[in-house]
Amino acid sequence: MESILDFRLPANIYLQAAFWAGISALGLTLLVGLQIIALRMSMRRTQRREQALTLKWRPLLNAAIAGEELGNLPELPWRDRVLFIKLWLHLQQAVRGEASEGLNAIARRLGCDEHMRKLLVSGNRAERLLATLALGHMRDRESWPALARAVHAADSASSVHALWALVQTDAARAAYEMAPLLLRRDDWPLSQLGNILQNARSEWQPVLAEALSRTSPEELPPALRLVAALRIDLPQAQLQAYLDSPHVDVVLAALRLARSPHVIGQVRRHLESTDWRIRLQAVRALGELGDRSDVARLRTLLSDPEWWVRYRAAQALLALPFLTEAELAQLRDSSDRYAADMLTQVLAEKEAA
Amino acid sequence: MTPDSPLVQVITVCVLAYFILLNGGYLLLNFLAMFALRRRAQEAVLDELPQVYSALEPPISILVPAYNEEATIAASVRSMLQLSYSEMEVIVINDGSSDRTLQVLTDEFSLVPFPEAYRIQLETSPVRAIYRSTRFPNLRVIDKANGGKADSLNAGINAARYPLFCGVDADSILQRDSLQRLVRPFLGDPHMVASGGTVRIANGCEVRGGFLTRVGMPRSPWALFQVVEYLRAFLFGRLGWSVINGMLIISGAFGLFRKETVVAVGGYTPKSIGEDMELVVRMHRKLRARGIPYKIEFVPDPVCWTEAPEDRKQLRNQRIRWQRGLSESLSSNWGLMFSRHGGVAGWLAFPFFILFEWLGALVEMLGYLFMAVAWWQGWISWESFAIFLFVAVGLGILLSAFGLLLEEISFHLYQRPGQLLLLAAVVIAENFGYRQLNSWWRLVGLYRWARGGEAKWGVMTRKASWQRDIT
Repeated sequence: MESILDFRLPANIYLQAAFWAGISALGLTLLVGLQIIALRMSMRRTQRREQALTLKWRPLLNAAIAGEELGNLPELPWRDRVLFIKLWLHLQQAVRGEASEGLNAIARRLGCDEHMRKLLVSGNRAERLLATLALGHMRDRESWPALARAVHAADSASSVHALWALVQTDAARAAYEMAPLLLRRDDWPLSQLGNILQNARSEWQPVLAEALSRTSPEELPPALRLVAALRIDLPQAQLQAYLDSPHVDVVLAALRLARSPHVIGQVRRHLESTDWRIRLQAVRALGELGDRSDVARLRTLLSDPEWWVRYRAAQALLALPFLTEAELAQLRDSSDRYAADMLTQVLAEKEAA
Repeated sequence: MTPDSPLVQVITVCVLAYFILLNGGYLLLNFLAMFALRRRAQEAVLDELPQVYSALEPPISILVPAYNEEATIAASVRSMLQLSYSEMEVIVINDGSSDRTLQVLTDEFSLVPFPEAYRIQLETSPVRAIYRSTRFPNLRVIDKANGGKADSLNAGINAARYPLFCGVDADSILQRDSLQRLVRPFLGDPHMVASGGTVRIANGCEVRGGFLTRVGMPRSPWALFQVVEYLRAFLFGRLGWSVINGMLIISGAFGLFRKETVVAVGGYTPKSIGEDMELVVRMHRKLRARGIPYKIEFVPDPVCWTEAPEDRKQLRNQRIRWQRGLSESLSSNWGLMFSRHGGVAGWLAFPFFILFEWLGALVEMLGYLFMAVAWWQGWISWESFAIFLFVAVGLGILLSAFGLLLEEISFHLYQRPGQLLLLAAVVIAENFGYRQLNSWWRLVGLYRWARGGEAKWGVMTRKASWQRDIT
């Protein structure tokens, strides 16, 4: 058996290449190992700095939240500013009103507003996100142009948070400038938009309705779905026009907005649609708007070929405030098997809730 | 054959080239994963802030198939009911268990028969009864005849009320905010049809009230090897493919799907062993063939923890089953490979899986065997043999080290220096025996698949040591 000391690199070029591939792998592994150690050390250092910063600033920030007068503030080293803003954001997320203003005041005294403005323009992506959140809480009007530019960025996370910051700063102006864009951006999470516009519905409602009227038919269905999800009401004539649209997707989206008795006639007409999705939405709307005359219509739909239509029809019947339990039981007993099964299920669900 | 024989030289070069290509492919995936993790790290500031619900998040049905899970089912369901999400329901599907699974559920959650107008969208074994909990309005239990895991999931889909469903293994331990994280890809992209999260090894961790409270290391060396294996498989194996929309597998332990799409492609394939992968590959195939735009995304956050086998026999059985599942998934979806509209999934991911994941075990074992025999017989020099081992082991260590680096960049869950040192040791040690043993088991799986045979629920004796800690 040859010894390891007798190792000679073979003349074959492929074997030589393989040997050097192995050497490269070994070298890279060592580099990866060193990188892991460096990351671990850097993380520990950051954690220690974070702990020290929290120990020093948390009582002062709490005092600011409580509305106490703060005298001279300790110096905030430049390198700790980002860590400070993270701590400050945590507290901002949990407070409202005067407490939030107290936190804003302390941040401004420390010059964080200026620092965040710089980061918003020239920071890396993480710093820009941090700056967007901070400036939104500060309702910083000076940052408006930079934030407005950020709203148009392709990056969903950055742009939707920039929109939030603008709404925080000036809801009416944000509505006026951003409503058309809001209807076009299908990458902005609906749940996040719901949170952003929660306290700004009155400013956004008329502007969104107006922007909708200028939206192309192709862009209309998602825009209407957004408006419906945000529970924003449209003017009656506008909604009626959408309910009469020849486009199935527009009608489907408009039915989600049908919450006014003025459109009940159109809703009833859609119960006879050949498209089960339209029947489904019409049934759902009738659960909110229907009167006694709709009981017979809904009862017919309890035998619809589509399970979901039957299910929603049963739910709609249960939602009608004037139907007594005895009437519902009678309805169940006098219906066919499909309808009876569905009514039984929905009655059991109601009982369980 | 002689040392200078051209045949020996060609085979030697082919074996070396295969190992270099295989590991080179994984290295590329690593770089893609690093890019994705870097982007995710930039958004860390958003994750660290308290999350606010708007009630506009899509509601989710959690489907929990259970077969003879009497030891763990109550704790698992209890933890699922405590997940933090705006609107969800939990549906447990008792797949004809022969133990007390249904009785345990009935006792623990006060189940009563529920008169459901059960909707059959996907054919399944007969459903015997449906129950609802009188204590948790969002909990239902389907009791059905035994039909396998895929069949149970189909029954769950039939009963699901919500547009998204999440398949969860009954023994999974979920993070409290796991649904919230997994649903994110769906929130901003209407074309999203599925998302999967990272699964980690729970052995050695501390669990209280059904949730993981402390990350620890397993004592069993078998489980320890799997910790590194899972890091590699999830952090770059899946994340790398996800970046280019070529992910072919979402773990059955925890995956979120758009119900409408799954029903449209025919649901899970009953009697399938690798039902999770088969569904994802079929979704790629059918959606691409129909020209429907879609996305399947991987969420690298560690959202689900699972108990890994701690002895050789169970691990062997699991790996054989996985290889059979992989074989089934690929062989029943040949149509995706190099198909006209196949895209990344059909032109890159599928051939990669065929070459390196499916046939990999065969080539690897033959490679090791050939090189060893060739050296023994004097067909190749010992230098050539040494270079082969040096490259195979060196690249293997490098890949695992990258997995560890990705973990350190992103989540650094193993915080104690001792844990890091132990993992570093495992990164090296697993290349001397464990990986080769795995290849052998995969080869056995390949053989068993080729021979045919009926699929059964994967039986694993749960130690469920974490259950003792439930308060």
